[in-house]
Amino acid sequence: MSTKNYAAPGDYNLADLLCCAAAREVRDHEVVFAGTGLPMVAIMLAQQTHAPNLKLIFEAGTLDGRPPQLPTSVGDARCEVGASRASGLHDAFSIAQRGYVDLGFLGGAEVDQYGNVNTTAIGDYLSPELRLTGSGGNPDINSFASRTIFIMVHEKRRFTENVSYITSPGWRVKKWPQGDWVHRRQLYGAAYRGGPTAVISTLGVFRFDEETGRIYLDTCHPGTSAAQIKEQCQFDLDVSRVSGETAPPTVEELHLIHDVLDPEQIFIPRVTK
Amino acid sequence: MSKVNKRISLQEAAALIPDGSSLTFSGFTIWRRPMALVYELIRRRARDLHLIEVNGGPQTEFLVGAGCVAIWESCWVGHELYGKYGANVSRRVAAKDIIVEDYSHAEMTFRMAAAAAGMPFAVSQSSLGTDIHNPEYDMLGRAGLRDGGNPRIARHKYQFVEDPFFGGGQYVLSPAPKIDVAVLSVQQVGEEGTVRVQGQHYTDPEVARAASLTIAVAEEVVPEDYLRRNSDANTIASFEVDYIVECPWNAHPTGMFGRYDVDGDFLRDFYQRTRTQEGFDAWAAEWVHGLDHLSYLEKLGWPRTLRLKANTALNYSTSVKRGQ
Repeated sequence: MSTKNYAAPGDYNLADLLCCAAAREVRDHEVVFAGTGLPMVAIMLAQQTHAPNLKLIFEAGTLDGRPPQLPTSVGDARCEVGASRASGLHDAFSIAQRGYVDLGFLGGAEVDQYGNVNTTAIGDYLSPELRLTGSGGNPDINSFASRTIFIMVHEKRRFTENVSYITSPGWRVKKWPQGDWVHRRQLYGAAYRGGPTAVISTLGVFRFDEETGRIYLDTCHPGTSAAQIKEQCQFDLDVSRVSGETAPPTVEELHLIHDVLDPEQIFIPRVTK
Repeated sequence: MSKVNKRISLQEAAALIPDGSSLTFSGFTIWRRPMALVYELIRRRARDLHLIEVNGGPQTEFLVGAGCVAIWESCWVGHELYGKYGANVSRRVAAKDIIVEDYSHAEMTFRMAAAAAGMPFAVSQSSLGTDIHNPEYDMLGRAGLRDGGNPRIARHKYQFVEDPFFGGGQYVLSPAPKIDVAVLSVQQVGEEGTVRVQGQHYTDPEVARAASLTIAVAEEVVPEDYLRRNSDANTIASFEVDYIVECPWNAHPTGMFGRYDVDGDFLRDFYQRTRTQEGFDAWAAEWVHGLDHLSYLEKLGWPRTLRLKANTALNYSTSVKRGQ
């Protein structure tokens, strides 16, 4: 195996780093369900590098597509290129509920220490300060994929003790109608396959303990420290398991992102010097 | 040839949607939305619509901004890359002008499929443990609308059950929606109503069948015989469609597989200008009121529509600038 040719610090930006860190979570031959934006670039990068056999599902209905050009949404005509089947949402969500999906790639506005994610509204739900896009397929993919990964902007108010609204289920969830907190394994029963496995934020990579359901810091992005990241969380972040620094993009990955996948800079801006 | 003439105009189609109707659409977020008909509804100042959508998009934002909507039941609204969220929905939710009932995307899909199959409810395990199922957040219930007085509103947002057959855990039953009218935006429809969608069909087959009345607005009306030569390529059967409207470029500014791309500049401009009600009103005065479909297209102009036109081999435009 050749030595990795990592890019120099000034040659990549945060979006590049996030995209590469996310792509490295994908394993070859997996069925991957991805949302619009950075997740899309990340899986296409994985498809171009170490995971050429990944099966890509977009929730609007393309199954196992091989788009050479970046779609701007999962409903885009570009999603269809090279697909095994052009279908619809009923198929895509049935496939997820049936248990085919290994990995889901999602975004979020707020996350708590158990991986519950909010994409619905900020503030009191009954009188919201800001109504966001809403759930979309976030809870559905997160309900049924064996692993889910969130890509998020890191701000102290977003890494919160309690999210304003639980749009997407983490490891400890509420059993309605009473609303008792339970481990998700208890609630999903036969449909339990796993849960959130990583959050890739603009400061670091976080993982979850499957038993306690709690988040911990795994790697710090170059230029940050565990202490700084802990300071940027409202909950008491576990930093006892930090394994080191997030690996930077390689020269090859940067080439693929900017010259092949996103030359139009739809989701990932180029470094300007 | 059919004995029944299903062809009507856009204006006649809009007149089939009286105030207070429950309404749904074809498409997905910023793709294949029946925008020409949405503009007609805004022009005739439709009121008290109950939108029940698998997902929202520009059509939702246009109708909500224009004050046409009383209830929005769905899971998502925005303009994808061209607008971060639904600013008009957000503004009107904050002002308590509209009631928003949240479900998840899969739940809305399965609910629509239940209606399409003539079943009273859908069953799923999706979204267990989330606040979507929080009884405190049943907004139609909070508004006192679940008393059975409105035949389109279910008596409960959800019911929870334990799997009675295999002991598989908790399940959620959610009501099949009662849709008065579904409006589809598609590439081709035959004279008798057969629809051929190209590309992803999203939830079009389900919404067409779920509704009491289905209107297909098509880029072109083609001979029924042509579609029936390859029935395996068709999406919706003739008798599921009640009326057809021929209207090229009817989905603009949303995109249509094989025909034209999303007009990202148009959506970005809409998103930026309509954060306030005054902004929306000015936008509607410029782009909706006082125009009809042809004058709207004239206002857009040839250079813009030619840029959006899809390459017929690739099914998308190679001329649009998509990045910032």
